[in-house]
Amino acid sequence: MIGFSLSSEQVSLKKLAHEFAEREIAPVASEYDRTAEFPWPIFNLAHDLGLVNLSVPEEFGGPGVSVLDECIINEELSWGCAGIAGALGMNSVAALPLMIAGTEEQKRKYLNRLTIDREVASYAVTEPGAGSDVASIKTTARRVGNDYILNGTKNFISNGSYATYFVVFAMVEKEKQHDGISAFIVERESEGVSVGRKEDKMGQRASDCAQIIFEDVRVPKQNRLGSEGSAFRIAMKVFDRSRPVVATTAVGVARRAMEHAIDYARQRKTFGRELGQHQAIGFKLADMAMQVTAARWMSWHAAWLTDNGQRNTREAACAKAFAADACMQITCEAVQIFGGYGYMKDYPVEKLVRDAKGIQIYEGTSEIQRLIIARDLLTSP
Amino acid sequence: MDLKYTPEEERFRNEVREWLQANLPAERPEVSESENMDEWMAFLRNWQRKLSDAGWAGIAWPKEYGGRGAGVNEQLIFTEEMARAKAPNLMNVSIGIELVGPALMHHGAEAQRRRYLPKILSAEEVWCQGFSEPGAGSDLASLQTRAVIDGDRFIVTGQKVWTSWAEYSDHCILLVRTDASAPRHKGISCLLVDMRSPGITVRPTRQITGETEFSEVFFDGVAVPRENLVGEINGGWGVAMTVLMHERGTSAIGYQIRLRSELDELMELAKRIEKNGRPASADPLIQQKLAQSFIEVEILKYNIYRSATQIARNGSPGPESSIIKLFWSEMDRRQKEVAMELMGLRSQLVRGSKGAVDHGRWQRAFLWSRAGTIYAGSSEIQRNIIAERVLGLPRG
Repeated sequence: MIGFSLSSEQVSLKKLAHEFAEREIAPVASEYDRTAEFPWPIFNLAHDLGLVNLSVPEEFGGPGVSVLDECIINEELSWGCAGIAGALGMNSVAALPLMIAGTEEQKRKYLNRLTIDREVASYAVTEPGAGSDVASIKTTARRVGNDYILNGTKNFISNGSYATYFVVFAMVEKEKQHDGISAFIVERESEGVSVGRKEDKMGQRASDCAQIIFEDVRVPKQNRLGSEGSAFRIAMKVFDRSRPVVATTAVGVARRAMEHAIDYARQRKTFGRELGQHQAIGFKLADMAMQVTAARWMSWHAAWLTDNGQRNTREAACAKAFAADACMQITCEAVQIFGGYGYMKDYPVEKLVRDAKGIQIYEGTSEIQRLIIARDLLTSP
Repeated sequence: MDLKYTPEEERFRNEVREWLQANLPAERPEVSESENMDEWMAFLRNWQRKLSDAGWAGIAWPKEYGGRGAGVNEQLIFTEEMARAKAPNLMNVSIGIELVGPALMHHGAEAQRRRYLPKILSAEEVWCQGFSEPGAGSDLASLQTRAVIDGDRFIVTGQKVWTSWAEYSDHCILLVRTDASAPRHKGISCLLVDMRSPGITVRPTRQITGETEFSEVFFDGVAVPRENLVGEINGGWGVAMTVLMHERGTSAIGYQIRLRSELDELMELAKRIEKNGRPASADPLIQQKLAQSFIEVEILKYNIYRSATQIARNGSPGPESSIIKLFWSEMDRRQKEVAMELMGLRSQLVRGSKGAVDHGRWQRAFLWSRAGTIYAGSSEIQRNIIAERVLGLPRG
């Protein structure tokens, strides 16, 4: 059976998240875009309302919402500001490997630090030479007695400057390629961990992005997540859960751009009529509405599949690529509709273009998603 | 049809090349236009004076106004050679030489030509273009800046926006409304305004790239001598059309050459950047996209040749110049999207960031490319013009 209505809890979650975005995020979005500071006041308020650590189950102090619920919330927060939504949402991603592969003790210790102590954690996979291609990571973990010694550099680590611990992917046995990678929980305070300069980014500037350097960092064996060599499989499971949510970041940004474009098309007059009454402009708005709606349903479907224990790899990749590409197109068209004003920082749409570009890249580029989709199409029975 | 240059034209090319080899500035300031504009402007002024003294500024302009008296083909060759030598461009070339020059040669009085044209070439005077207004962009004819006749002068009041180089300009070619009761296109006049006149305020605006190239310009009771009127009173629309045709057509020579050299640089970048364990240049998808960009650069080149031929024959590029404007601005966007894709995550790092590729120039260019489809008539307006004036379809 197919149902298209949200439950009453989902309707109230959506309302809560939207009101929060409207009241707390949107008014300060351009200020955080300018300063690129971490939005601590908003982070704390969101904590109070249960809008942080969304994926963490209630038994560990989190809201424990479904992936679909997280999609609904994230669209609204991203509508407010994708950078701030990213800063708020990162804990939920960093917690996923713990939930997927962590022991009871690991979960209790590290998830409680996010929920009760309100700390920040990062998911550290990407490296200077390994983005979309996880198997080519160069960070190594060497077994020494009951410990591992980590060496390497991670790049573009979201919330990296503020994280108190990292979930780090490192190569233990290089010859095994994918199956040689393990995941570790590494404390920020461990000797040999340093945080490099914060990166100056084009978009999503409120979401911190830093380089993390590991030099002979000793990590006890009990901080390994899952069995040795299991990290690649953990990463794939994280993606199944995180990609539908990232797709809704694109939906939120695109919807915001569309709303601004509609408002402007009604206000502005050219050649004696409202801008939107020119078919060339009206059709652009129509295309935006089609794409936003399609991207949202695709994301929700991919989320629903994983919530119901079904495989969603293809659907999540479709949703992520479609939503990110649509978002780029919609934000650019919004600038086009605003004309010269769209290009200026005094108006809201140029920021959305800058915010949109990253979504096509992180969490697997649009090209990688197509690779996954094609592989799935060609190998599935 | 003959797309080869004549022996004389090839001789001209050699002459340009030799002169550039001998005279190219050995050092240039390590600045982009945005960072240290004053130093950059002084450098450009010196360079252009050198070019102008040697007769290389205004190749296709008549000799009596400081030009070389050569043709559009020589202009094309000169621009190509400047790009090949990676020479700094002429200062304010896009407004002074390419827009104000043709406007005054077509519509200006002899006294105006003699007064203004030589100083554009020698870089003694920089120009800006006062066309767009807050309420009149693509729909330029709805402009509202007013000029009222007061004895032997006009009094100008109103506001212009997106005025490039306004902070650094000596003069402005300004469109004003001189008859509010006439049909929109028939109540507009064109004035030459000294930017140092009392009553002018320039306020730079910050744009998507973080720079402030464009400004708002406010006119509050600015007095302009009557002899600064270009052409007839209420005849400004014709002047504007000449300016816009040139802005959309011939000025694209420079864009085509820039897009070509940026493509070369992108191919170099693709060799330097690693993608999935091998150079990005070996990636079949990237190859497809670079090949596509090359095709588009070539299409643009031949369209510009066609437009140059048109100018040589009729003195004006005609409404077909809209095809060129539309094509270069949209292909610029596509090319810069390829640059972003090439860089992957590093495309997010702006100038000043340690890991920024080529000091962040590519994502600046990516953001910049969003402006090209808006200024000088948006893509939507260009398609309207092509539909109505090239294809002869009725007004939509």
